Amino acid sequence: MSELSAEEIAKRERDSAIPFVDLRDGARGVLTWAQMDGDDLADAAIELIGEATRIAQHLDEDSRTIYTVIIGRKTSQFTDKLIHHGADVVYVIEDERLTDYLTLPFTNAMVSAIREIKPEIALMSASTLGRDLAPRIAGILDLGLSADCTSFEVGLYVNRRKNQKFEKAFKMVRPSFGESKLATIVGPWCYPQMATARPGVFKPLDIDTSRTGKVIEFKPEWESKDFDVELIESVRNPSTIDLSKADIMVAGGFGMGKDGFGLLRELVDAINDNGQKAEIGASRAAVDAGFVDYAYQIGQTGKTVRPSIYVAIGISGAIQHLAGMKESSKIFAVNNDHKASIFKNADYGLVMDYQEAIPELIKQVKAGYKFPLDK
Amino acid sequence: MSELKYPKLDLNIYVLIKQVPMPKAMKTTAEGLMDRTGKSMMNPHCSHALEEAISLKDKVGGTVTALSMGPPNAKQSLMEALRRGADRAYLLSDRKLAGSDTWSTAEALSKTIEHISNGDALDVLFAGLQTIDGDTAHVGPQCSARLELNQVTYVESVDIFDDKTLKVRRIIESGYQILKVPLPVMLSVSHTANVPRGPSLNSSMSALNKEIIMYNIGEVGLPETSAGMTGSPTVVSRVKNVVHDRGAIVLFTEGSTEERVSNLLTALKEETS
Ligand SMILES: Cc1cc2nc3c(=O)[nH]c(=O)nc-3n(C[C@H](O)[C@H](O)[C@H](O)COP(=O)(O)OP(=O)(O)OC[C@H]3O[C@@H](n4cnc5c(N)ncnc54)[C@H](O)[C@@H]3O)c2cc1C
Repeated sequence: MSELSAEEIAKRERDSAIPFVDLRDGARGVLTWAQMDGDDLADAAIELIGEATRIAQHLDEDSRTIYTVIIGRKTSQFTDKLIHHGADVVYVIEDERLTDYLTLPFTNAMVSAIREIKPEIALMSASTLGRDLAPRIAGILDLGLSADCTSFEVGLYVNRRKNQKFEKAFKMVRPSFGESKLATIVGPWCYPQMATARPGVFKPLDIDTSRTGKVIEFKPEWESKDFDVELIESVRNPSTIDLSKADIMVAGGFGMGKDGFGLLRELVDAINDNGQKAEIGASRAAVDAGFVDYAYQIGQTGKTVRPSIYVAIGISGAIQHLAGMKESSKIFAVNNDHKASIFKNADYGLVMDYQEAIPELIKQVKAGYKFPLDK
Repeated sequence: MSELKYPKLDLNIYVLIKQVPMPKAMKTTAEGLMDRTGKSMMNPHCSHALEEAISLKDKVGGTVTALSMGPPNAKQSLMEALRRGADRAYLLSDRKLAGSDTWSTAEALSKTIEHISNGDALDVLFAGLQTIDGDTAHVGPQCSARLELNQVTYVESVDIFDDKTLKVRRIIESGYQILKVPLPVMLSVSHTANVPRGPSLNSSMSALNKEIIMYNIGEVGLPETSAGMTGSPTVVSRVKNVVHDRGAIVLFTEGSTEERVSNLLTALKEETS
């Protein structure tokens, strides 16, 4: 064992004199929001219950109940699924008007449920809906909130400035400063300690159909202003194409234009003709511009892929795009701007116009080049 | 032509502007807070929010008030907002605000808006979707909760429905929503919404005669107990650097197109095999 420095020893002695405090004032249990996407249950709903269950094991024994709140038009059909994935008590809020997410009625419902349940911790998904809902709730209930967390811990937290020590503080870890740092946030002064959790990061528990739980039909008091905002249209594109089977993903961005996508298709065909599995991918900007169907969109609001080779052409490399492809084994980028941030997130690069690069790639593939694939 | 289509609404528009460190100058202090002494710029998302604010004013008339909270040098970004077409600019600046988390930032900004508007009701509050130093996306919604405004986040387009409602498009997973939203409303704007304009000659000229009004927390009625680290329900307890496992990029710059592509393909194969 290494010797502690005198400074470290002094610090520990000072810390041991700091008194433990517990400001929970009866707040117990972990609450999760079971997000619906229209009439479907979002994957995040069961991911959060899984993580809540893992967190709860480190809380006091009387604080391990998992409360799950589900809000929507047809929600009661999902209560079994939530319980089979780990929820102990499901609060069901059902109303014909809740055809889709709307800020005010969902806030009212969650605020009412939180006041009723008084949880120690509350978790919501860091989706485009959860990141709309959670800060609104925090603003109303005067709570702390950490955004877009990627891991959680429960443990000792010492605040020397306030001369307080917390035995089981909730530590919320989140990427910040453009994903270059991981910050740990704590707030054991206001309850629930609340966070949004990045979708797709946390694992659901294995399903257990013998699990039982309690279902509570909960009726918040709606206010007339809750329904002032009117949903005119909600478009959720079906994911008709399975991109996960492609070993080589050739993705194009806004920089390609519609014609560029024709070239991209030729490259993909050439690779397939050469006996390797390739597919087209796209950035959101390319999809929004109508170059290609949504089904091919890669990223935070599209698909997540992990091919052996990801070729990004005319894609700037926005964080939301990287979210869907950064786990690819090898990334190779073509962009005519050497400052494009895709080059900071790739293994190989060509600072080149796509009109030069793609025909040459097609030529070499047709001449028999095979991409190296993961085993 | 398109101008005729819009009614004259004379909207009272606010836009929140944060000055952030240049990405290259982003550092944290020993306490884990952002070091704000290096080179800085207007947060990119706020720049898109400002663009949306000014183009809404261009359509239906009104005033755009730019508001920031930060050290005195945040005046830089506010001056830029004036030169791009904002009508007035305010800066809440006070040492006691250091260490504010998103809750107390929203509290301070809301108090300042109430103070400035002085009963002249706000119609639209624009905010950037998020900042590039904090990445939380909280402050807009927290202000709208505090000021009891309608709320739409992840906004990609804003249009007029009628004289009391806006038509707003927002990003959701796998698509988008279109909403009909009564005023007053807070809209947090995505960088995908628009391409911000540069300063105009006219606005730059009139900006010369404008003063950025500075307040401290006492002047806007924010109690010390709600400000800065003291008023914040969360603190940063630890910051560590993320190590990326992907090594530095290899660029192929030598030779003809054919050679560069073939060198890349060969390197790819050799490394992986
Ligand atoms: C909530 C939210 C969710 C989002 N979800 C996603 C998502 O799922 N997926 C996604 O991709 N984005 C998503 N975005 C958008 C994202 O932030 C970027 O705006 C988008 O990825 C940009 O696409 P792009 O790189 O194709 O376009 P641009 O940023 O416009 O980049 C075009 C690139 O092409 C290069 N280029 C131009 N001409 C040429 C040429 N001739 N040859 C070579 N290169 C050229 C340019 O240098 C530039 O780098 C989301 C944004 C938000 C706010």
